[in-house]
Amino acid sequence: MWMLSFVPDSWLHFAVIAVLAAGVALYGVSFVLAFLPPFRLYREPARIIGTLLALVGIYFYGSYSTEMEWRSKVEEQQAKVAKAEAESKDANTKIKTVYVDRVKVVKEKQVVIEKQIVEVAAKMDAKCEVIPEALDILNDAAAGVKK
Amino acid sequence: MKKLLLLTVILLAGCATSVPVERKFPDAPQELMEKCPELKQTEQTSKLSEVLKVVTENYSQYQECKLEVYTWIEWYSTQKQIFDSVK
Repeated sequence: MWMLSFVPDSWLHFAVIAVLAAGVALYGVSFVLAFLPPFRLYREPARIIGTLLALVGIYFYGSYSTEMEWRSKVEEQQAKVAKAEAESKDANTKIKTVYVDRVKVVKEKQVVIEKQIVEVAAKMDAKCEVIPEALDILNDAAAGVKK
Repeated sequence: MKKLLLLTVILLAGCATSVPVERKFPDAPQELMEKCPELKQTEQTSKLSEVLKVVTENYSQYQECKLEVYTWIEWYSTQKQIFDSVK
């Protein structure tokens, strides 16, 4: 059935109706042949072939309806997916913009803090001396736990 | 003849398969894919101002990493919601 997806809708519809109509017509003709002695011989084969064609036509008509329903669902699904992809892209852009802006604020604040440190550096350095052991503890804490 | 017909019907029914619509979970922004750097170490010094500078830089680094984690959570929740909305 998957191969049917490559055939255009109109072609499929035409083929299904043609098979069904040919079957019904042949079945009808088989009755007419009964009244035409030279062709009476073909009556049974025509009836059998007509019946088979009609049955195959009905089967294909059912398949065709299923195929059309399936195509409609696929189109519906594809539309939903396309909409979701567009929404996803928009959301990505918004989230990225907000993130970049927030990071910028953090960096700007750090610049301000560094200026404040420079302003009071002489004062704090004069009043406080950091011993090497304090630095070791600080660095050890900053290093965290290595894997 | 009957067997042939039956076989044809079975074979045709066997071909009835559905092709799913292909979907892909979106890629995260490149900015969120960067790893948080290690915290800075303080050079040997006795000046409190230099130590304070490194400490505040590390605080700032933490703030950036916190933002990255929060943004990841927000990104995942939003994208999952959008992804799940298609049924």
